[in-house]
This record gives sequence, C-alpha cells and structure tokens, in this order.
Amino acid sequence: MSKVLQKDQIAEVDHSLYDFKDVEHPSFETNAGLTPEIVEQISRKKGDPEWMREFRLKSLDIYNQLSVPEWGPPIDGLDMRNIVAYVRPDTQMHGKWSDVPDDIKNTFERLGIPEAERKSLAGVGAQYDSEIVYHNVRKEVAEQGVVYTDMESALKGKYADMVREHFMKLVPPTDHKFAALHGAVWSGGSFVYVPPGVSVEIPLQSYFRLNARGAGQFEHTLIIVDKGAYLHFIEGCSAPKYNVANLHAGCVELFVEEGARLRYSTIENWSKNMYNLNTKRALVKKGGTVEWVSGSFGSHTSYLYPMSILQGEGARMEFTGITFAGKGQQLDTGAKVVHAAPHTSSHIVTKSISKDGGECTYRSAVTIQKQASGCKSSVSCESLMLDSQSRSDTIPAMDIRNDDADVGHEAKIGRISDDAVFYLMSRGIREEDARALIVSGFAEPISKELPVEYAVEMNNLIKLEMDQESAPVC
Amino acid sequence: MADKLLEVSGLHASVDGKEILNGLNLTVSPGETHVLMGPNGAGKSTLGNVILGNPEYKVNAGKILFEGEDITKEKTDARARRGIFMSFQSPEEVPGVTLEDFLRVSKRAVTGKPLKVFAFQKQLKKTMESLSMDESYARRYLNVGFSGGEKKKAEILQMLILQPKLAILDETDSGLDVDAVRIVSEGIRQYKNESNALLIITHNAKILENLKVDAVHVLADGKIIRTGGPELIDEISRTGFRPLEEGAAQ
Amino acid sequence: MMEEQLKNINTLPALTWNHLGVNRAKFTAQRPEKRAAVPATMPEAFAKIETGMGKEAETFAEQNCTAYHVIEAEENQEYTNTDSLRYSLTGGDPVVDVTLIHAHAGSRVTVLQSYTSGDDSACFHGGLTKIIAEKGAQVRLVQVQLLNSAGRHFDDVGFLLDDGAHAEIIQAELGGQCAYSGCLALLQGYQSSFGADTIYLGDGTRKLDLNYVARHTGKKTASEMKASGALFGQSDKIYRGTIDFICGAARSTGHETENTLLFSPKVRNRTVPLILCSEEDVDGQHAATIGKINQERLFYLLSRGLTEAEAKQLVIEAQFAPAIAKVPDESLQKTIRNYLGRRMQLDG
Repeated sequence: MSKVLQKDQIAEVDHSLYDFKDVEHPSFETNAGLTPEIVEQISRKKGDPEWMREFRLKSLDIYNQLSVPEWGPPIDGLDMRNIVAYVRPDTQMHGKWSDVPDDIKNTFERLGIPEAERKSLAGVGAQYDSEIVYHNVRKEVAEQGVVYTDMESALKGKYADMVREHFMKLVPPTDHKFAALHGAVWSGGSFVYVPPGVSVEIPLQSYFRLNARGAGQFEHTLIIVDKGAYLHFIEGCSAPKYNVANLHAGCVELFVEEGARLRYSTIENWSKNMYNLNTKRALVKKGGTVEWVSGSFGSHTSYLYPMSILQGEGARMEFTGITFAGKGQQLDTGAKVVHAAPHTSSHIVTKSISKDGGECTYRSAVTIQKQASGCKSSVSCESLMLDSQSRSDTIPAMDIRNDDADVGHEAKIGRISDDAVFYLMSRGIREEDARALIVSGFAEPISKELPVEYAVEMNNLIKLEMDQESAPVC
Repeated sequence: MADKLLEVSGLHASVDGKEILNGLNLTVSPGETHVLMGPNGAGKSTLGNVILGNPEYKVNAGKILFEGEDITKEKTDARARRGIFMSFQSPEEVPGVTLEDFLRVSKRAVTGKPLKVFAFQKQLKKTMESLSMDESYARRYLNVGFSGGEKKKAEILQMLILQPKLAILDETDSGLDVDAVRIVSEGIRQYKNESNALLIITHNAKILENLKVDAVHVLADGKIIRTGGPELIDEISRTGFRPLEEGAAQ
Repeated sequence: MMEEQLKNINTLPALTWNHLGVNRAKFTAQRPEKRAAVPATMPEAFAKIETGMGKEAETFAEQNCTAYHVIEAEENQEYTNTDSLRYSLTGGDPVVDVTLIHAHAGSRVTVLQSYTSGDDSACFHGGLTKIIAEKGAQVRLVQVQLLNSAGRHFDDVGFLLDDGAHAEIIQAELGGQCAYSGCLALLQGYQSSFGADTIYLGDGTRKLDLNYVARHTGKKTASEMKASGALFGQSDKIYRGTIDFICGAARSTGHETENTLLFSPKVRNRTVPLILCSEEDVDGQHAATIGKINQERLFYLLSRGLTEAEAKQLVIEAQFAPAIAKVPDESLQKTIRNYLGRRMQLDG
C-alpha cells in the first residue's frame, strides 16, 4: 500500500506530504511575463513542428485580445507578468524509473506513484513542472495497440497526424482567455489512443506535480478512445505551498468514439496558492459514454467545469463531483453538457462542503439543442455549510430548445442536522466524531466512485479538516 | 457499585421555553423493568431525551444520577458511554454511513476498546438473524429508506450490540405489525438480564407480554401521578388514563 | 414616439457564462407624452426599497409615470382594492403606473392590478410597485397581465418586510409581445415570510423575462417561490429565481420550484435557479422540472373521452389553479380561464 494510505501519516496527507519543496535547478527558464519572444523561445526549445509554432503565436494574439470573465471568483491575485510561463526540469524523459534523477524521483516516491503503478495501474505518466519526466505502460497493454505517451513525443512520432487533427479542436484557443494562454504556452501532458474494441481493464494514471515557485503548469491531455473501446484514466495533481501565486491552466480533450466508454477520474489537491483555471472537454459520438469523477480539494481559486458534448445519438454523460473548500479557498466548480443529438442523456450529481471561510460555488449549464429530441437530463446538487464564515452558492442554468425533453434539477443547501448529531452521540460517539461521520457520509456517494486510494485519501482529508475547530460567527 | 442505577429527582425540563416536565421523580435499580405510560403530550418522550441530554431540552431544576453520579450536566455521548441507551421513536436517517460501520464506531466508543473484528462480525450476523433482519441491511445507509418496522428493529439491534446498562425504549412498538412486535419483544427479552434495566415507554401492553414488569408509572402533565405493579396495565387498558388523571387532579 | 433603451435590467444576482444570455436583459421602453403629477422625490421609506428589475427600470417608471397611487393601510386595518388599479390600454397610449403601498403594523392588504388591451393597437405598459409591510402586516399583491400580442410590458416590484410580516405576490404573465417582470423581497424582519406564485404563458414569438429574488437578512425568515408555465409557438422564456441567505439569517428557509410545460418544438426555455448562501443555519432548496406534458396523464385523460386540447387545458389549468384561485375577483378568474381555453383550442 502506498504511503498516502497509511493511517499514522494522516497528518501528513495535507500538510506535509505534498508540501515539500525540492531545490530548484532548472536547465532553462523563461523570463517572467508573456511576449511573442517567450512563446517563440518555448517553441524552439521544444522543437515544435512549424504548425505548432504558428498555433502558439496565434493563441498568444487571442490571449491578448480576450478579457478575464466577469463572473466567478476574483483572480486579481494572479499577475501574469509574474508567471514564469515555462519551467523545464533539468532532465530528459525516461522510460525507466531508475533513470529519473533522484530528487524528482523522491518527490514521486513520497507521493506514492511508482508504488501505485506496480500495484494497480496499467501505465503511469509523471509530469514535473512543465515536462513529463516518466512515462511507462505495461507490456500487455501496449501489445493491444494502446498508445500512452507524452504529448511532445506524440507530436513528432507515428501519431503526429492524429494529434494535429485533434489538438485544441475541442477547446479552441478562442474559447476563453486561459484556453488561449494554454494554446500559447502548453507543455507536457499525455497522449492516449485506445484502438477499436480494446478494453483497457486497469486504469492509466498521469500525475502532475508543480514544484517551481511562481510557475505555471500547462499540460495538455489528449485521449482518443476508438469505437467500442474502454479506458479508465486517472489524473492526480499536487504542488507544495509557496506564498506566491502559481497557475495551472491545463487542457484536457477527450474523444469518445462510437460505442466507446471513457471514465476520467481526477483528484485535485494543488496547494492553496494555486490558481487552477483548467479546461476539460469531451466529445461523445453515437452510443458512447463519458463518465467524469472529480474531487476538488486544493487550490486557492478554481474554475473547473468539465464539459461534455453529446454529439452522437444515444450518447451519455455522467458527472460525479465533490468540492471541499476550506480557509482561503474559492472553488468554483461544476459541469457543462450540450445535448446535440437525439436521445442523449446526462446525469450530474455533485456535493460541496464549505468550512472555515471557504467558498464553494456549484455552476453548471445544461443545453438541449433544437435537433436533440428525446433527451433526458437530471441534475442534483447538495451543499453543506459547516459555519457562517463560509459561503456556498449554487448557480445552475438550463437552456432547453425543443419540447421533447425531460429535464429535472434539484438543489439543496443546509447544515449538519442537530438531531442527527444527537442521535449519533446517544450511541456514545463524541460530538466532533459524530460531525465528521456525518460529513463523510455526505461525501460517501461520491467517494465510492473514486479509485480506492484516492477515496481513502479523501476521507483522511475530510477527517483532518473536521478535526480543526470551526468558528460559529459571521 | 451503587444499588440504584437511575435516580431522577425533582426534574423540571422545557423545550422552546415550554415546560414539559415539572417535578418528576423516578428510581430504577439494576435488574428491573419499568413501564412508563401516559396520554399523548404527557412528557414521556421528553423524559427519555432529558435522561440522554438532548440539547434541545433544557433542565430547569432537579437532578439525574446514574450509578450514584450526577450526570445532569453531562454531554450525550458521555452518558451513552456510561451505559444509557435510548431506542428512538423515529430514528434519524444518516446517509452515507452504513449500519455496520456505525455499529462498529459506536461499539468502539462505548467500550473504549479496539474492536475484535471477527467476533464483532459474528455477533452482528447472529443478532441480525435473531431479529429476522436481512443481512443486506448491514451494508445499507443508517435508517435511510428503512420502513418503520426496519427502523425499530435496527434500534433493537443497536441495543443488543452495545449492551447498555439502562435501555429506554421510546414507543418501540408503535407502527409495527403483529409479527414485528413479536420479534422486537423477543429481542428485548434477549437483552434483559439481572444487572441491566429497562424503561419502556409504551401505549401497548402487547410488547410487555413476555417480560417481567417490576413497576408501572403513569405520567400526566409532566409528573408521575401513579405508580403500581403490572396490574396497573390492565386497569389502564380497561378504563384509560382519564380516571387516573382526574384522581390526581383532586 | 420616444423610446428609451433599458440596458441592464433583471440582472442575475450572481453572474454566470455570458453565452447563456441570462446575466441581464435589455428592453425598449416607450415614453408617454403626458405624465402624471408626481412628487419630485419618492418618499424616503420607499426610495430605499430595491426592486427585482433594478435601478434602470425603477428610474424609468418614476420619471415617466402616468398614474401614481399611494396606498396607506392604517394599523390593524383591513384594506382591499380590486378595482381602481385596473388598466385598459387603448389607442397606443403608454401607461406607466407607480404604486406605493404602505401596510402599517397589523394591517391586512389586498391589491389587484390588471393590465389589458382595450383594442388591437400596439401598447406599452411599465409598472413600478413598492410595498412596505410593517410588523405583522399581511399583504397580498395580485398582478394580471393580459395584453394583446403586440403589447410590451414591464413590471417591477420590491417588497420590504418587517418583523412577522407576510407578503405574497401572485403574478400572471399571460399576454403581450414582451413580458418582463422582476420582484425582489427583502426579508429583513424576524420571522417575516414571503410567497411568490407566478404563472406564465408563452405564445407566438412572445418573450418572457422574469427575475425573482428573495433576500433573507432577518432570523427565522421563510420564502416560498413557485413558478409554473406553459410555452407554445416560438416563445422564449427566461426564469431567474434566487434565494439569497445573508449571514445572520439564521434558521431561515427558502424553497423554490419551477414547472414548465413545453408544447412546441420551437420554444426556448431557460431556467436559472440560484441559491446564494453565507449563513450556515438555513434550509434552502430548489427544484425544476421542464418537459412535455406527462404522457401517462395525457393518455389517462384521453381514455376518458377528452380531446387532446381539452386534456392539455385541464393539465395546465390544474397547474395554474392555485395561483388563479388567489385572484380576488371572480370575473377576472373567469376571464383568465377563458383566455387559456381559447389558446388551447387553437393548439388542438
């Protein structure tokens, strides 16, 4: 079992396990701020194909034209002039764990990644700051024709055309300011291709670690699950705590072909100085399914709304998410779905917990287009407020453009019931434990969807958060 | 060991500023079974809640001693760890926490010892069987979607697992069909021994059939107006509470 | 004819994605030539009351008022007005009414406002109603809008509730080319409560734009907002409903539901139900169901010999009935039912 799981290290889960820093000695670092020169420099260093160089410069243009959104939590603390767009660790990519430099290796070992790979994963990718440092996939999985590699290799190798055909087609740089930024400076990330009919029985996992102070991480994940294939992909994120802002503006593009199924699980535990402005999107063809499982615990500020475009008849999406905002955190999360074909369905279940001045916002948009008859959508979101310093907002929107739709939405907000606390206490359970038990129970329907080691970690995080006395005043 | 298990004296208690109990006295010794009867609104459930220290109820005067120690100001969980248990009339639903996990946590809490996992599981299985509860209930969320009868059985299950010194059964028989009443009363019989005690709040004589009742109390207007032996139950079945209340008023 | 663009009305209390088009609304208002004699400034007690459509609509109504009423209900008195605030619009003359209702402590007030077209001319109505409900007062405000299909209408309402006051608004937005309305209730007093019953009908190319806000600042306050509607033709509707619990509003509850029946493949329905919360000790809930008429229910009614039009009418009427029953004038209730019946016949 990995370190993360060990009970006696609970206290480390939040405070120290992720919160250690390596001495920075990158081989190359751009100047803070963003200019065409910096973008050119990145492109040159990475040895981009010409089209990518142009793509980056165009994206930078778009970035400069777009403004930050007028909604959502403030991002004033983020000064782009201070973001070192690109930090490249002092190493090449490795296929063998033993070749990864010791300090980086130690980081991932402390996070339990290689351990987990041996135990329960079909393949692992690890990104350190801007570059993938390790990528490996099990032989038997590779033999089925499954490709799992870093984006840079994919851009130049055998799959170059496939990458070019799909790269930022789902999330164009024009989508919003941070998508444009991503287009200009993206670096690292994973490329996965699962051939038709292949079912990858054990999950693939990418782990992202941002170590450098005041840096940005802009990894790009591109996954294509071909007809009738199945994949479970797990993404984990962490960073140590610095007192300057870090930025994560990754991009995830998922292509789910006819009859295919993709499960995409994320546990995000960035440190609390992180601005997490991430864009995730899936395009689902006829009879395909995308399942999102999302746990958001870290970051100072998050904007995260995985979007599913149900493009083929009978396509389905499920979204299961939990957000826990503690002191100083403003986590604006949710989901978007566009029903673009008949008989598509969406099912969204979210929970949020606000504590110690933390602010959770659930935000969603369900759109049913004119041509999409016979669609079903259900949304259920529940929020728990643990004190009155905190805040919890629910901002869903539904846009229905034909009459043959069945759309349901329900939301609830409340507190831990005094009666339930009394009931548990009447069985000898201490008040703090009773409250923690009720909160874990509240989160349970979501945590049971998470990979088991993450579910354990999540319960530890909740327990840890609950052990800290919360103040009742406004 | 004190010879008295529970001693309630001069108890005045209110909820939302309204006085429900006014000057109640009650003593229960180890090994005894007491029955508390009375018309609706007399304060029967209030007494159970106050003995367990429900913060919604305010004690204005009087004392509650348990095994000779004053617990009037103690928190609910501490009282439970002393060995006081109440079977709730309508127990709370707690989503996300399975019945089994809950029992495990509370068993650990009341015994203050680490749990012997296999012994616990065996005991749980056996006890559920004796209550005709399907095994799958152990994995279901606590009381969520349980029928009225299943909720009551789950309460009795908790009592049997936690083995309290004093069990207060608040209308445990209400809303049960004949078979369920029989099962529940069998469970109660199974629990009872010479060192523990029962305080049964009920409307119904049925649940008491197999039990040796030591004392019957009639509660009206927040006070015990009459105490007697099991024969009082028959009297009440025949004539109702009205004559007793009128007698008390004179 | 003098027009004025209102650019920022019915603003969503917490903004979201712009592309959804629900953050705010625009409206072309029409200035009347003749205005009523109105005090230069609104009495201060009313001036500070916020409304659902916002400052722009409010200012327009104040500056272009053609009908001005101040209603005072004395302490513990009963006051009912179901006839003098009924406006029949003719000859294309704009009507802009401003109504200020002051319900003193313990009073019971019922006010009916209705807006109908007296002819086929394109008409404009803008309305502003502000209500103060003092300690223990009970206010029922009923607004019925049945303008012709060329009518343009906006209706802006604000409530202020003191301790133990109860206020409710019943709004029927059934006609017009554009029907925009907004209502904000500030539940400031201890144990004050607010209810909103809205029914709407979308038809032709009608645009409906509704914005309701229940803002809880007082302890133990309660709000209950219900909206129910049917959309036909190419109608386009936006319903925003917000429950806003401000820190300090302990032990408050806010419930909101919307049921929308869709009857044409060309309709567009947008629903944005918000709960904003900075107080722990509250209970907030919202639910929305949007879709076709329940097919099983329809089948059941058809199996009893009803025509499809009759069956649909029955279902819609059942959904609207609780609100219609609160209209304090039986002949107007009948008018509404007949109006719905005629519409249903068209569809059948």
